[in-house]
Amino acid sequence: MNLYLFQALNGIGLGMIYFLISVGLTIIFGLLNFVNFAHGAFYLLGAYLSYTAVVVTGNYWVALIIAPIMIALIAWVCERTLIKRVYHLPHTYQILVTLGVALIIQELCVSIWGPIGKHISPPDSLKGVFQLGDFFYPQYRLFVIGFAAVVAILVWLLLDKTKFGALVRAGSEDAETVSLLGTHTHRLFSITFALGVGLAGLAGVLAAPIRGIHPFVGPEILGIAFVVVVIGGMGSFTGALVGGLLVGLVQSLMTTIWPQGASLMIYGAMAFVILLRPYGLFGRA
Amino acid sequence: MNSKTSIFRGITLIALVLIVLMPFILPSVTLATEILIFALAALACNLLLGYTGLLSFGQGIFFGGGAYSASLVMIHFNFGLISALLISILVGAALAFIVGSLSIRRTGIYFVMLTLAFTQMAYFLAYTFSDWTGGDNGLLDVPRPALNILGITVSDLKSSESFYAFVAIVFFVVFVFARRVIHSPFGTTLVAIRENENRSSAVGFSTNHFKLVAFVISGSITGLAGALYAMLLNFAPLSNIDLVMSENILIMTIIGGTSSLLGSLLGAGAIVLLGDVLSSIWPRWMMILGVALIAVVLFLPGGLWGGVTSLFNKLISNKKNKEESSTEVSK
Amino acid sequence: MTNKYIKCTALAISVASLSGATLAQDDAVTIYGVKSMSGAFASYGKYADMGSKLAVDQYGELLGEKPNYKVIDTEGNAGKALRKVQEAISQKDAKFFDGGTLSSTSLAIGKEVNKSGGVFITPAGADELTGVDCNASTFRWSVPTYGAIRETVIPLFKEHPEKKRWYTITPQYVFGEALLSNAETVFEELGIEHVGNSYHSLQEQEFSGYLTNAMASQPDVLLILNFGAQSSNTLRQAINFGLKNQMTILVTWSSGLEQFQELSASVTEDVYFGAQYWHTVDTPLNNQLVKDVKDVYGITPNYPLAADYISTKILLDAIAQAGTTDPTAVANALEGKSYEGPTGTETVRAADHQVLKNYYLLKGKAASKMNDSDDYADIVSYGKSFPDESSLECSGI
Repeated sequence: MNLYLFQALNGIGLGMIYFLISVGLTIIFGLLNFVNFAHGAFYLLGAYLSYTAVVVTGNYWVALIIAPIMIALIAWVCERTLIKRVYHLPHTYQILVTLGVALIIQELCVSIWGPIGKHISPPDSLKGVFQLGDFFYPQYRLFVIGFAAVVAILVWLLLDKTKFGALVRAGSEDAETVSLLGTHTHRLFSITFALGVGLAGLAGVLAAPIRGIHPFVGPEILGIAFVVVVIGGMGSFTGALVGGLLVGLVQSLMTTIWPQGASLMIYGAMAFVILLRPYGLFGRA
Repeated sequence: MNSKTSIFRGITLIALVLIVLMPFILPSVTLATEILIFALAALACNLLLGYTGLLSFGQGIFFGGGAYSASLVMIHFNFGLISALLISILVGAALAFIVGSLSIRRTGIYFVMLTLAFTQMAYFLAYTFSDWTGGDNGLLDVPRPALNILGITVSDLKSSESFYAFVAIVFFVVFVFARRVIHSPFGTTLVAIRENENRSSAVGFSTNHFKLVAFVISGSITGLAGALYAMLLNFAPLSNIDLVMSENILIMTIIGGTSSLLGSLLGAGAIVLLGDVLSSIWPRWMMILGVALIAVVLFLPGGLWGGVTSLFNKLISNKKNKEESSTEVSK
Repeated sequence: MTNKYIKCTALAISVASLSGATLAQDDAVTIYGVKSMSGAFASYGKYADMGSKLAVDQYGELLGEKPNYKVIDTEGNAGKALRKVQEAISQKDAKFFDGGTLSSTSLAIGKEVNKSGGVFITPAGADELTGVDCNASTFRWSVPTYGAIRETVIPLFKEHPEKKRWYTITPQYVFGEALLSNAETVFEELGIEHVGNSYHSLQEQEFSGYLTNAMASQPDVLLILNFGAQSSNTLRQAINFGLKNQMTILVTWSSGLEQFQELSASVTEDVYFGAQYWHTVDTPLNNQLVKDVKDVYGITPNYPLAADYISTKILLDAIAQAGTTDPTAVANALEGKSYEGPTGTETVRAADHQVLKNYYLLKGKAASKMNDSDDYADIVSYGKSFPDESSLECSGI
């Protein structure tokens, strides 16, 4: 098989991971109009919690369930105590507060788990390599792609087909009307925030066996998430999916064509999209 | 109008007093110099954020660009102090023109993201052209030339005290210049744009034109700050141009307060000092920085300067109330 | 209320730092440890600090008094580090520095210390330290890229002469280029076929694309030339891709024990690593060091700890030998000095201030064969390889 085909397939795999990293960010921005610079930090915390869960229970699957739920709970508490106070403030202040949260989480992780990184292995059943002709692909990465696809469908169903989704969307347009209808908008907002951040934690858990757990990756993950979300259109669920795949593909192909320029290309593409299509590929004005 | 003018003078006077006192209050002159240099960068950021409402993550591009350009012309072409600084101002302005003219086409979070993308690209370029920038090793052996005016050597700037004096003069000149800018019709237009862009453009201002000029001014001051930093250290590290630098400049600006240029001096002082003192006590000190960021937003939305002024106002009104009540009693 | 509090704190802070400055003025020798305690390289700084501290604490009297140790936090930022070093020099008359694991930090500090005529010993990786940017004040403990490549590639090839096709993954920055050009020279000498190279950027953490490129070239050996978190992720992802079954993997510039601890034996098993230091090296000083570190800190010494321990120790020894705190005399005492170090007999070469010491080729063990929780690897070979004195780029000493 052709090397470019390898890279394209690999790019799709990478893209699904990027989608997982960014989907929470876009949901929170789209529905709450809130810019969360702590997204990368919650990813980090998710990865660390899964590490501890694996150490304690010895079972990756338990970690995969427990860690994201704990992250969502932490996010919920964080929202009730802090985040709800800054919804009404300009984005500048939201950025500042969440940067503060990110620093606190990062330093807490170093304090608890130490400055040296951690590793968790893929579960034994997924340690092998999938082989198709000359093409090798880690089974674990295949699992992540499949899992991300399931997550994508579930989140889409939740937002598009349920009463909860309808209320949240209505609430983000006009919070007053929804509360007149007898729904507690603040509860809706808390749940949405917890959901978005929980997804960041989930991404951290899933990516840990691939990228390791290192206390200072938060800003890098945040950068990827922003690139994906901006290219796709901030607040657009479809945008995060397409943006993630696009970034993954570009990055993977670039490693064969012009590796040094991979990050230049990605940020260049981001700037290009904003300039040509201000609201990204799928965003609304 | 009269009283307003005197307040303006008051702020410039406070700035002057602080600049003179800093080397004596602070643990070291080099620390004071670093604070002033970052105060310059924060002040330039403040012109964008506080007076024009533009949250730019691109300040590191201008800072790093100024540092590299001044260092390179000094190393390779033997430029003197003043001419190297002029180059850094020009390069800062040119970079700001490029970044600004593209970024101001978008508003809100998209503007922020554009500046962020440009910073990442600039960082990439800086380390790719390592023959010029030294890449991740940084640009070493940056000279600190003597200060010559009209062929006369005023000072060799070798001692940290004399270099502080030089930076202080530069800071003061820029401070006064920036205050003139914001209180000129141009400055009031900028504030009008910040307050309500639609109305301003309806009234007939070309808002983008004004924003771009603000960008260029901000970029040139930031470039100057970057050059001074390289001269202070005799070194231009790659970290000058990374995202963290942009982030730090923004944090200093917002912590200091965006309603006055003096806030930028307070912000730079607070952050540099906080880092210096806390890092020697507790390696996890950045947690405290995180708490401080949140606390400022929740309890001190006007930043440190806002806090100082409101405290001042409270004291004055308390005094007045007391005077009033005492006169009532005497009646 | 808040404002008052902030003001009080600010005042207290400035008073505290002023009094701190005056208290330091006594006659005892003070070693300043430049360590990345906070910021993105905290994993180095924490252990480097332990090493220097231990060396100073163990030292008896030096010139009639117990020596002092002060840490300077680089905050992971070369600019900050440099300004703090300037301050220590101008205010506290600091003369003796060690540490600065990051190349950029060490290069800049070396220059600064040289300007004021002090002494600085560093374990940093940049060859420029004892190459084009060498100077009278700067000494370097770690083996340059030249030796790291020769002491790993050559013994590995001697063990497996049938493995003739090698693929390299190189970070595109100064340090990576240095490793790559040394590797290419060795390839030519040994008749190894260099079947391909992937460059990647300074910030890259995703290596699947480069690994796919490598697989497509079907090499016998994958030579990984990046370091730290990047090499951990390259290796981790290479294992995910099943490369361990298809080729031999060599990480030339590992960070030693901490990297094994980070990756765990499931990843490091059967992988070759180059290392500046390994705790099972059987030398008198190292056996003592391992015992002392276990007693004092309850851990096994890793590379940053050992490197900064010995750097600090030889600095103190040189001061004792010179019998004065005059930095020129101390630098002279260091030049040509031979001593028992953690890797055996080590010598400070006078011509370029490079310490001549062993570099190790390790091979990761299976978890089932580890004798204790830190017994991750066997030493395959070791030796000293340094550029010949006639070919040095250093001319500033």
